[in-house]
Amino acid sequence: MTDKNPDKGYVAILGWSLNAINAIDQFDRRYVVVAPPWAQDYCAQNDIPFVPWDFDRLNERSYELAQQLKEMGVDVAIPIFEETVEWAGAINAVLLNQPRLLGQAMLFRDKSLMKRRAQLGGIRVGVFEEAHDRGDVIRFLKRVNQTLLKLDGDVNDPIHFKAFDKSGTAGHRVIRSPEDVDNIPEDEFPALLESHLDGWEFAVEAWIKNGKIQFLNISEYVTLGYSVFVPATPELEQHRARITEQIEKLIETFEIDFGFIHPEYFLTSDNTLYFGEVAYRPPGFNALELIERAYSFNGYQGLVVAFDPKTTQEELDAFFPTPIEDAKGFAGCFGVYPRRRVVSKLEIPQETADHPYFEFHELADPREQKVAKRSAFGTHWGLAYFFGDDPHQLRDLLKQQEELDYYI
Amino acid sequence: MTSSGTAPEGRERVNDGARAARLAETLDVAIARLEPARPFAKPRYQRAVLDVTARLLQTEGGLDVIRSRAMQMDAAGLFAGSDWDRPEALLPQLVGTTLMADDPIFVALEAASLARFLAVANGEGRHENLHKDMAVHFLTQVLALNLKDIFGQSDEASRALGDRMVIKRQLLNYISEHIGLTDVLGVLVSEIWRLLEQRSVQVAVAKDMIAQIAIALDQKGTEPGSERLGAERLVSALFGPTVASLDDPGIDVYLDRIAHFDETALSREAMGFARAMHDTGLVSDYHAAFLVWALDYRDRPLVPEALGLGTTGLDCWRHYRRLIEDLIRTAVSPTTPQAAYGLAMLLERGVLHHAPMVPALHRHMQQKVQGDARQRLRLSFGDAVSPEAHLLAGVLQVIGQPLGVGQGANPTCQSARAISMWALIEPDFLLHLISQACEFDTVLMQFEGTQINSADLPAGLAGHGPIDADPVSVLLVSHLDRIYAEMGRLCLGREGDPHRWINPQFHGWWVARDCAVAVDVATGELAGYDRFLRRFFAAYHPHHNGDRPVSHPQPAGIAVTDPNQQFVGWHAIAILRVSADQAGVMRVYFYNPNNDSGQDWGGGVVVSTSGNGERYGEGSLEFGQFLSRVYLFHDDPLRSAEAADAVPDAELPPIHAQAAASWAADRLPQAAPAVVQDKMGTEPPE
Repeated sequence: MTDKNPDKGYVAILGWSLNAINAIDQFDRRYVVVAPPWAQDYCAQNDIPFVPWDFDRLNERSYELAQQLKEMGVDVAIPIFEETVEWAGAINAVLLNQPRLLGQAMLFRDKSLMKRRAQLGGIRVGVFEEAHDRGDVIRFLKRVNQTLLKLDGDVNDPIHFKAFDKSGTAGHRVIRSPEDVDNIPEDEFPALLESHLDGWEFAVEAWIKNGKIQFLNISEYVTLGYSVFVPATPELEQHRARITEQIEKLIETFEIDFGFIHPEYFLTSDNTLYFGEVAYRPPGFNALELIERAYSFNGYQGLVVAFDPKTTQEELDAFFPTPIEDAKGFAGCFGVYPRRRVVSKLEIPQETADHPYFEFHELADPREQKVAKRSAFGTHWGLAYFFGDDPHQLRDLLKQQEELDYYI
Repeated sequence: MTSSGTAPEGRERVNDGARAARLAETLDVAIARLEPARPFAKPRYQRAVLDVTARLLQTEGGLDVIRSRAMQMDAAGLFAGSDWDRPEALLPQLVGTTLMADDPIFVALEAASLARFLAVANGEGRHENLHKDMAVHFLTQVLALNLKDIFGQSDEASRALGDRMVIKRQLLNYISEHIGLTDVLGVLVSEIWRLLEQRSVQVAVAKDMIAQIAIALDQKGTEPGSERLGAERLVSALFGPTVASLDDPGIDVYLDRIAHFDETALSREAMGFARAMHDTGLVSDYHAAFLVWALDYRDRPLVPEALGLGTTGLDCWRHYRRLIEDLIRTAVSPTTPQAAYGLAMLLERGVLHHAPMVPALHRHMQQKVQGDARQRLRLSFGDAVSPEAHLLAGVLQVIGQPLGVGQGANPTCQSARAISMWALIEPDFLLHLISQACEFDTVLMQFEGTQINSADLPAGLAGHGPIDADPVSVLLVSHLDRIYAEMGRLCLGREGDPHRWINPQFHGWWVARDCAVAVDVATGELAGYDRFLRRFFAAYHPHHNGDRPVSHPQPAGIAVTDPNQQFVGWHAIAILRVSADQAGVMRVYFYNPNNDSGQDWGGGVVVSTSGNGERYGEGSLEFGQFLSRVYLFHDDPLRSAEAADAVPDAELPPIHAQAAASWAADRLPQAAPAVVQDKMGTEPPE
């Protein structure tokens, strides 16, 4: 175990992520993992410092956890998953004696509140509305398409239906017709409705300290839910200055002093940047690992540096590289879904295996012969990783993967 | 869609150094991620390393890359959390199978492990648990065990395996190029000699290995040395044991040659064959042809010379020449050459002097094999000669080499043991059973007055009988197996181990009628174990039983354990004799129906098959080591308990400890006798 520096902060990791624990265990800060009690034995066997906790619903016991961590000498809590963001807010409000952190966390956890706050801050967002039942959805679908001057019989522009408090593509549906509305289960309400923005969707990962961006990465989506790569193509990176401005606006609007944010944006054909949503936790799709592959710094360790109140500016400057300039290449990954109804084995497509950019994969063996029908976006069966010098070649390669069978 | 419908048509190996170089870089990336990972996070990063390794295996030059990173991969934790993390405990026998695994990840894991052995063997790397000599030895054994896959003999079966076979062959070739085949031959030769020393009835495996050696010598050549000498001795015994057959000319040419030989030359041929046969237990095809040819050579009795008979055998030859000639004519052919060795040994045993034997053999030669039995024999041995010829050859071998009977890959140790014991002491009874089975496709027995007819019984453990055993077993085992099961059924409801009643009824009057069992049948726990041990001493140890030898083989039950002393299962063996070996150590010599008696039962209990006074086919252990694995034996009910009481206390604790450390580890009674516990050492004595 790496020697820990007692002069630096002591952090609590909220949520169970082996990747995060593995990275932070190798770092110089003292840490403790706060996760559900089922992890207890595992942590004991592997010498992982651990506090058992059920993150069910935020309740009055959050203060109890905050006190316990405070007594242990913990300086700050870091959320790893969407579900632990408000817990981190509640705990940090106590640990750092900044009561408004809880309110701030609630903004991140409710997509509807988040959008209103962004709008209030003068950030450009699409049309959105809360839906409490199917009627609301149909009304929104109609109104959006009327606005677009569509006639009866024209193909509708889609709208997006998103759970208030889920991360990534979980609970995300694309609605095109009233039939799509019928397919929404009752228990997914209430939800957020958004108009569809035709444009270039991308994500940003920003490490923030003292209200300033310490490192900003742009992750380019090839296809949402399938593939992403970093750094972005020069075509997208040329907007970096404007994007940085937008992030600074976000920091100001949401009064973010420190931490890590992961917002999503659309760049429309008229060159306007629309804000989609923002999360106060690491992104899915192992994006931090892509960043590490490209830039050679560990994103989870970056989280610790950004959250720890004892971190100095010198340390921050030394830790983070210079965007684009310091990247060794372009790293991307592709989320594999079985394309056939019945699959029996995993076999990497020959053209992928032979491609110089293909590195390795983390694909599950097909455990069941029958492929679950995908509703909403679903979950992929694992990721295939790519790395190369040419972002355009990488982008096209990732796009090609969508047409290939990994499971046969 | 099924996987067979989309089987790859054998991917072309990409002949591209650039690809290997690029994959090498990717491998370095994967290793660099694995190396700092905490133990709990290793598995995730191991997979990526193995994924790249698997692709390197399909790339020209990939093996060099894997070898150059092998030590690095090991140090980075590629094997952490798996059996491969302890190279010193890996078994070379398992490597071949893993290399043919369905999942390329396992193939990659084994390849990376072998590359690590290779690096250590070549002195390129050091490993704290793996010495250079150990690494060389391990790889040598791997090559020896997979010799047939090193050379490009492409048969139907290996072709069907496609890619995996290609990868395995390339890997083995790579290893052999780096450590040489000389040692491999040495290992293989001593392994074959070890098997041959046991004089099994079935020699196909040994013959196959010798054929591999012949190919190896021919294709690769080796430096002259003792290994080569030993290998050539085996190859010549099989393919050219005499002057006229030395160049393996083919049987027709050979017979033409000897037609012109004079008596001296023919006698020399005969003696050459006999010497090779008694040296190895293997009979060359030329030898079989020579014997049949010699039957019609009237000027000189070449047959006893070619059989290499000693005084007893010669005496039988003089008495029963007509019968013996008939036996050779019927049973010995290039398809069944081993019958000649069986016959020679049968004659040496003198069993023809036992009154019923000559007529029983005459009867047997007239017998046609009927019905299902005929089908089974044809299925097992083919149609090159008649089922009767195969069966007679089997009869000669089983009676000539009773301890060479093996159970094949079948759970029928009891039946194999029965055949062996009858062949040893009641060959006429065995012939009686064979006659029943041939003519009526049934075997009749009695159990405590109840008639049992095997034809009426449902199939037993072995289904419709083994087809991978000797001809006598192929004929009889399905019957014996059913009868044995029926006897067990008739014992239902009786308290205690049913073998107590079955063994004497099944095998014969000579099985002692009392029976000692080490465990309580109901609970499976040790019960009265010290008493059990004392009784065994009193029944079998010459120093404690009044120097009374074992006259008839006694069935006994063994708790078989693996090299880690883990319980494997109950197994039937027969105690043959108990006596001191050349070093004065008291040993139990026993018959194990398992095909290879030389087994490591863990904790230093390694069954010896030669070098400690064993006769052909016997296994032996020191008395105490043997007793530590016994859980059931037969004992005379009339003898008093005094002898058992007189066994000194000091004899028991080491044996008790060895049992408790192995098969009985989880069978110790809850309240173990404190006395023994106190005396027990933690380590078994060497």
